[in-house]
Amino acid sequence: MADVDETLKRIESHKGVIGTILVNGDGIPVRTTLDNSTTSQYARLLRSFTALASSAVRDVDPQNDLTFVRIRSKKHEIMVAPENNNLLIVIQNPCE
Amino acid sequence: MREHFLLRTLKMFADEALDPVTVASVWRKAQQGAQHSRGCQTPAVLSDHAGVQTRFTASSSTQTEPQEQNLQEGGLGGPDPPGLVDFLKRVEDPVTKELEKNSRSHAFDGYQANWEEGSDHVSLLHSLQHPGAEESGLHVSAVSWSCTGSVIVCAYGRTDDGDWTHQKSCVCLWNLDRRRLRPKQADLVLEVPAAVTSVCCHPERPALIAGGLYNGEVVVWDTSRTQDPVLAQTGMSADSHREPVYQVVWVPLQKKGDFGVLSSSSGGEVLLWLVDPDQGRLVLNAAYAFVRQQLPHSSSLKSRGSSRVGVSALALSPWDADTFLVGSEGGLLLRCSFSCGPPAAVAPEGRSVAPRAPARFCFRPAGGPVHSLHCSPFHRYRLPPPQTAAVLTRYDPTRLRRNLFISAGTDGEVRLGSLLQADPLLAVRVSDSYVFQAQWSPSRPLVFAAATGQGEVQIFDLARKSLRPAATIRDGAADRTATCLAFNGADPRLLAAGRSDGTVGVWLLSSDLTEQRAEESLRLEQIANQVAE
Repeated sequence: MADVDETLKRIESHKGVIGTILVNGDGIPVRTTLDNSTTSQYARLLRSFTALASSAVRDVDPQNDLTFVRIRSKKHEIMVAPENNNLLIVIQNPCE
Repeated sequence: MREHFLLRTLKMFADEALDPVTVASVWRKAQQGAQHSRGCQTPAVLSDHAGVQTRFTASSSTQTEPQEQNLQEGGLGGPDPPGLVDFLKRVEDPVTKELEKNSRSHAFDGYQANWEEGSDHVSLLHSLQHPGAEESGLHVSAVSWSCTGSVIVCAYGRTDDGDWTHQKSCVCLWNLDRRRLRPKQADLVLEVPAAVTSVCCHPERPALIAGGLYNGEVVVWDTSRTQDPVLAQTGMSADSHREPVYQVVWVPLQKKGDFGVLSSSSGGEVLLWLVDPDQGRLVLNAAYAFVRQQLPHSSSLKSRGSSRVGVSALALSPWDADTFLVGSEGGLLLRCSFSCGPPAAVAPEGRSVAPRAPARFCFRPAGGPVHSLHCSPFHRYRLPPPQTAAVLTRYDPTRLRRNLFISAGTDGEVRLGSLLQADPLLAVRVSDSYVFQAQWSPSRPLVFAAATGQGEVQIFDLARKSLRPAATIRDGAADRTATCLAFNGADPRLLAAGRSDGTVGVWLLSSDLTEQRAEESLRLEQIANQVAE
């Protein structure tokens, strides 16, 4: 448990990181730094988005697979690292 | 011989009567027994005092084990599933690399994606007129958009006569989403017995409109009713205002979904009304009175004239349900509180609710009457510090500090102020004449619009380096004042501006005035953080 927290703290201490969410294989947010409603929204939406992206990549080339998703929006950037339905979601404000 | 013996025996058998004989009962007396008198007494109870003291003590305590926090989602803070730690270890490096790359990246510098076809300039969509109002020479005194953004409500009335007027006026509604919109004919006209000074549409129910009249009444119309649209009114009761109502605003109440009407008048009162639709009345819920002696820092103000402070502008804070801002006819700007406050030092005047003095903080006074106040609907995008458990929403006092508001008055300037600071942060020169209304844009945190006495609506963008207006809306002759304006909350590209010649213009703003750019919230935060020297 302490490893998880330490790792997450290291990630959060990066420049511009606004929030992190760790989602387990069942789609339930296990660790978060955002409030409840935002967390569940992000978890739900990004899970389906990542599944869509993953299937798109594999449809084009069955040998290929999705490693990382970055969504750039006007206000900030959302990064999702997927693996076996686990998700690590990091929201960063690039501060240009 | 024998005859004598026979006669004597016959006399022996004659009838005789005898007296009765009584025999007394001896049974009762035998059962009674003997009776004697005796006395008796209990002896005194012996009592004695003795002391008790503990000779030795031992302490022990109990404690319940803290329960594991289990959210509705379940599992937060509990024991981790085994695969999670490995997953995180594997994933940490790539994520860190991406984060660092991103923070150094210039790939998106200056890149603006536009999903819609934006327009480059401001254009007039509709010019709405009501012939009846134009004939009577009425000005447009207030405009308001409904919460859905499709209906515009225009209130007509002349208030520059300086006298009580019995002129009838009206409130007209146009639905801009209808295909056959007739700019010269309103979809609905509500007749009003006096000049209307202010209207405000209900934030959640599109059919309700609150209006304040020049004769001191506050009326709520329900446009879904065909027969009599007046849902409730204050009437001329002891509770209502005695001076013209300057502004009405719907204010959210304690219970979620309930709204009350807050009205301010030049008599120095702000009253909170509840709608009672069954009786068709507005019931007074709370009263706030402004008296010069009870204002904070009042010693620095010259007290001349009456002690009442006429309230000419009202603004609610979108972040703190207890705070509201008040601007007065004398140029005072006050921050007030709904809930706490001492009783006001005024005569009761037969009101059913005793008035309170709500002023908490006095900003630097403006040079003339304050016509308009508006709090910024934007707030810094800030998240609480990281914790392992889910973050609870707790009252954050820094929220109050960050809130900006603009105020506009007759000195031709729009001042940007912060709620916790007496001096304004920024003063923008808008025009040489009066400014009647100023409002923040609902979509861009740095944009606000001001309606001036020279007939123009100036739109300012604080992101620009210079303080010249980003856009100027000029419609027709320059001698018509622009009396009011309103941004459409649902469609932020639309801006309605009413003028003194009775026309209302609906303008489509250019996309650079409506689309939020990156870093705008940050820039607003920087402006808010400036401390005036």
